[in-house]
Amino acid sequence: MMALVTIYIDGKKIIAGSEKTILEVARENNIEILTMCHLKGLTDVGACRLCMVELEGSPKLFSACTTKVADNMIVTTNSERIRRYQRITTELFFAERNHICAVCVSNGACELQDLGYKVGLDAIRYPHLFPQCEVDTSHPLYVMDQNRCISCSRCIRACAEVEGAYNWDMMNRGYQIRVISDFNTLWGESTTCTSCGKCVQACPTGALWAKSIVQGQQDKHPEFITDLMERRKMNL
Amino acid sequence: MNRVDFKNIIHAEELKAKNAPTKHKIFVCCGAGCISSGADNVMKKLQEEIKNRGLEDIEVVPTGCMGPCNQGPLVKFKPGNTVYQKIDCVNIGEVVKSQIVDKKPLEDLLLFSEHREKPFVNAEEDPYFKKQLKIALKDCGDVHPEKIEDYLLHDGYKALDKALFEMSPEDVISEIKQSRLRGRGGAGYPTGLKWETVYRHVNDQKYIICNGDEGDPGAFMDRSVLEGNPHRILEGMTIAGYAVGANKGYAYIRGEYPLAIKRFEAAIKAAKKLGVLGKNILGTNFSFDVEVRIGAGAFVCGEETALIASIEGRRGTPSPRPPYPAESGLWGKPTLINNVETMASIAPIILKGGEWYSEIGTAKSAGTKVFALAGKINYAGLIEVPMGTTLREIVFDIGGGIQGDGQFKAAQTGGPSGGCIPAEHLDVKMDYEELMKLGSIMGSGGLIVMDENSDMVDVARFFMEFCVDESCGKCVPCRVGTKMMHDLLQKVCENKATQLDIERLEELAVYVKECSLCGLGGSAPNPLLSTLRHFRHEYDTRVQPVRKSENLVHQ
Repeated sequence: MMALVTIYIDGKKIIAGSEKTILEVARENNIEILTMCHLKGLTDVGACRLCMVELEGSPKLFSACTTKVADNMIVTTNSERIRRYQRITTELFFAERNHICAVCVSNGACELQDLGYKVGLDAIRYPHLFPQCEVDTSHPLYVMDQNRCISCSRCIRACAEVEGAYNWDMMNRGYQIRVISDFNTLWGESTTCTSCGKCVQACPTGALWAKSIVQGQQDKHPEFITDLMERRKMNL
Repeated sequence: MNRVDFKNIIHAEELKAKNAPTKHKIFVCCGAGCISSGADNVMKKLQEEIKNRGLEDIEVVPTGCMGPCNQGPLVKFKPGNTVYQKIDCVNIGEVVKSQIVDKKPLEDLLLFSEHREKPFVNAEEDPYFKKQLKIALKDCGDVHPEKIEDYLLHDGYKALDKALFEMSPEDVISEIKQSRLRGRGGAGYPTGLKWETVYRHVNDQKYIICNGDEGDPGAFMDRSVLEGNPHRILEGMTIAGYAVGANKGYAYIRGEYPLAIKRFEAAIKAAKKLGVLGKNILGTNFSFDVEVRIGAGAFVCGEETALIASIEGRRGTPSPRPPYPAESGLWGKPTLINNVETMASIAPIILKGGEWYSEIGTAKSAGTKVFALAGKINYAGLIEVPMGTTLREIVFDIGGGIQGDGQFKAAQTGGPSGGCIPAEHLDVKMDYEELMKLGSIMGSGGLIVMDENSDMVDVARFFMEFCVDESCGKCVPCRVGTKMMHDLLQKVCENKATQLDIERLEELAVYVKECSLCGLGGSAPNPLLSTLRHFRHEYDTRVQPVRKSENLVHQ
């Protein structure tokens, strides 16, 4: 039997199972918390820090995707501070790599672009880093474009946890981290990739896309990862 | 080996020491600092010298760090505790001649001779040592790090013996709790409480980790203990294992410390041979094994969750807590992680009692703290003082003041996670709370002293550069935020920043501090915030007027 707890999110009283995270409970109750690295079905890593919420009684902020609910927890998701930080995070995403929507395959169907609209981004106050990034077109079906990558690691987790292929990983540190195929070889030469395309579906931006696609045409279905994991659970 | 055998061995060693024909012992500091200034050659030359003079009954002992590193290489003569400084292959002959043959100390080469009107023949009487209280570092500089017999003569493994035979695990934990020892890695979490939490988690497999991934620029406390007295750490870890119910320990030592790794591994071997480590320690049912894991050069691996990932063979990136390692740590098992200096304080506490330790220091921070003095200070090196010693005492009474009669401007504590303390706070009592109040932290104990020529914006920029390099890149605030802050600080340094840039810096600093995933990002803005707080004018004087166009875009 799972224990039930009472929590309050933005003043709304909710009864929820104690094994759930704040994010799960909020979404089940139609309370919007912004996320980027979260994809239901994959392990949460708390990397994007968009889902930071305030908990009454603590000066610290907590990532909603990795914090479990507890009885009498009072959660605030939309304070002025939270909204300000969401905006900074979004700005940093855009300033970090080369996100040029007009020439991107995911234009119009991009989670980062949507995020920009949601936080009301009208200007980026930080200087763009404009890094020199590679585009790996060696795979017969897909393209990896580092310019659009936000290092959310959804592709890495989809590959490891859903497909079980462990093709993707991360190399380097800090703002120089890069998603790599195998031991930093060309994707087309990977000995682990099964070409299943789950990483492409999991990717929130135009960093991973199918070769047949032209600009603005990449329509992604990350929910496909979620459904797959749900069905797998049912079969068990 | 059982307890009786162990006591017999100690007894035999003590007897040997008592009856030894050796009257003189010469200790050569072979800490990292002294080795880099030539202690190895001094050691060789000294042995030759002794042989040539027919003084073979004199024992020459290589030891760990003695403290005043920039006066090295150091050589200490016992009995009498006469320490000579800046010894090289040329003057070592004279020293041996006058100290041993003529029985008259050579004043010109005595420790601190250039700064004291009359240098002390017995170094212990010098204010440098008198103001200190050595507990964690006590036997560094007196024992041969690779000889377990030497350690046994300095109460070695007596605390383990006491814990195993006279105390229950609960007794050990309550002793540590009573001592009020707090984690010396920087955060200052009560050690006893941590031990108790791990003890309470029921699991047939638990782990002990000793965190020796010391990475703050200018800090070398852990290194010196690991190099100078590795058995003390081993003993602390074994006692911890007994207390919380763990049978396996890992010492995570950074790869940049090859000597520490070598000596620690030798210590493990010797301890196993003696029977104070391994299966059925001292004939009891308690078994405990220790393995060394070598860090590959990532600062973030000093963060406990990243360190655990690294030991498990994964990429060293932090994960959100809870769950805390005490509940789910190494391979998901309850794990106790303590810093090297914390582990080094365990044996004395068990031996002398928690009450003794708790009476040293201040109301909230008990015991002593090791600091690594560096920067524009006369006597750079390692010191250990009771908590609550003022910064003034550390810098002027112990550290010998500022080089070249300069003016003290600031002291930076806590490395890239800490802050700067300005001259008006020289009388701050160094403990966890007081430093926090000034916007700095105790940290692991790095203390960099700066004089009036130091540019505080550049100091902030330097530490930010360090954080940019060392950020693991997992979370956005730390990965991109530190880079942005660094670039803005660079702009200030080049006199190109405007008031808007300063505002952006301030906003980013608070954001990175509050939103980062782990302690690295959470504390990365501290050097910036503390220089903004105490040295605001250095920023303001460089700010350029805002151009109209820029104002329009960014308001």
